[in-house]
Amino acid sequence: MVQSALLCALAWLIVNGIDRLLAWQTCTRPIVTAMVTGLLLGDITTGIIMGASLEAIFMGISAIGGSVPADACASAIIAVASTVLAGTDIETGLALAVPIGTVMATVNELYKPVLASFAPYWEKVAGSGNVKSFKIQLTAFALLIDRLPQAIIIFLAVAFGIEGLQAVLASLPAFVLRGMSAASSMMTGVGFAILTAMIWDPQIGVFFFAGFVLAKYLGLPTLAIAILAFTVAITYFFIQKQILDSKAKAVETKNDEEDFF
Amino acid sequence: MAMFNYSEQEKKTLRKMWVNAGYVFAGFNMVKMEGNGFALTMAPVLDELYKDEQERKEALRRHNGFFNTHAVMFSLIAGITYALERQKMETGAVTDEVIENIKASLMGPTAGIGDAFFFNCLRVIAAGIGIGLCSQGNILGVFLFILIYGVSQLVGRWYLLQIGYSFGTTFIDSVFESGLMEPLTKSAGIVGLTMVGAMVATTVNVKLNWTITVGETSVVVLDVINSIMPGILSIILVFVLVRLIKKGVKPITLVFGILFITIALAAVGVF
Repeated sequence: MVQSALLCALAWLIVNGIDRLLAWQTCTRPIVTAMVTGLLLGDITTGIIMGASLEAIFMGISAIGGSVPADACASAIIAVASTVLAGTDIETGLALAVPIGTVMATVNELYKPVLASFAPYWEKVAGSGNVKSFKIQLTAFALLIDRLPQAIIIFLAVAFGIEGLQAVLASLPAFVLRGMSAASSMMTGVGFAILTAMIWDPQIGVFFFAGFVLAKYLGLPTLAIAILAFTVAITYFFIQKQILDSKAKAVETKNDEEDFF
Repeated sequence: MAMFNYSEQEKKTLRKMWVNAGYVFAGFNMVKMEGNGFALTMAPVLDELYKDEQERKEALRRHNGFFNTHAVMFSLIAGITYALERQKMETGAVTDEVIENIKASLMGPTAGIGDAFFFNCLRVIAAGIGIGLCSQGNILGVFLFILIYGVSQLVGRWYLLQIGYSFGTTFIDSVFESGLMEPLTKSAGIVGLTMVGAMVATTVNVKLNWTITVGETSVVVLDVINSIMPGILSIILVFVLVRLIKKGVKPITLVFGILFITIALAAVGVF
């Protein structure tokens, strides 16, 4: 069982690693993940067939008891593993996709602040100007560390069952999870603050608030806000152009008059 | 195509950018999101254009700032940024602020377009074909899914990179020749700041969980604050952080500060 569990964790790392380095979000889709898991566990046909049902579930075409589980990739691995290893029927395997989705969502929340605390380190590496070392470190990070806790969870879930994991996570004080989740949604503020500090211009700073109101109060999508902002910007641009043009003209006529006299 | 008529050096840089544009999600975090991927994608550009070592380092650090959009549309912005960086080095008419403003203006709308096209359209088509074959146990379904949904993204990224670069070059050239860089700088700032405000509204969240109980009545603090102005805490948070950064506080202090303060306050029930 431990060996199969390691293979499941490996399947997770493979599909996530490929997606991280190609940024195409393709291999972590259940249709591919289920096939890879099936291949590693020695029953590729079950993997492919389950991949079809799982993909349908996560596309929102069908649902497990009316709910769509949270984590497509992890659910696919757990569902295929339990079907192939325990020999249960496909429906029972699919039913396990719901609890692992919840567990993964919790682990993701807990891991987000950890990844966020790497941000200053990356800035330092980028600022050192050594592109080669930057790229090597990012590659290693993408393949191993970015999704490591989730790989461990997959391993534990296959080896010892999901119930134990749920119990462990449930025993965490509620404030830890609340604090972590609140912290990670505030940390994005640091990234925006660095950007805002750089582009801030007191003359037009008020547009920051216009954008905020359009998104928060009116709930407009970003494309709509961009079009509105662009309208103002282009109007400003042509007014400025006219002013510049008339200034140039004034200088011209002045020169003409001087020539005349 | 006449549109894609590049020098050998430009072709080389674009190829390197395309390979590095695969790192969009590498080292993804809540502070900079895709900043690592963007810095790495711009690295070949900076290697080509910057002669001064110190300036190149600074530019690489600048491109490691906050960035977030759809993984394929990402390379359209990278292509435009390449054109802007070239114009900056060759004429000096483009400033760092213009580059950051144009990046900030484009990331929101392109994310919307990319998500709509790739998630709601192309992926549905690819999955529809794949599911049909896979449900009969045919492995061809998996490969067709990868081909239609995955490989098309790699191809799209290559063309968007070139479209972005060509568009950026012709656009900036024409503005520069007309001598209207000054108004353009402000216009870019208007769109940039608006989009940053909009993105702060949707992504920065101060999740207060604080209830004050006085005798029989209890007051939910977040509701009271939001009744003054929804999301006012996000604005306050960002501008406090801006002040701290302008005072020279390091991002690492801010990140860990937020983490420890939030968890400590969560323990006493504020978050």
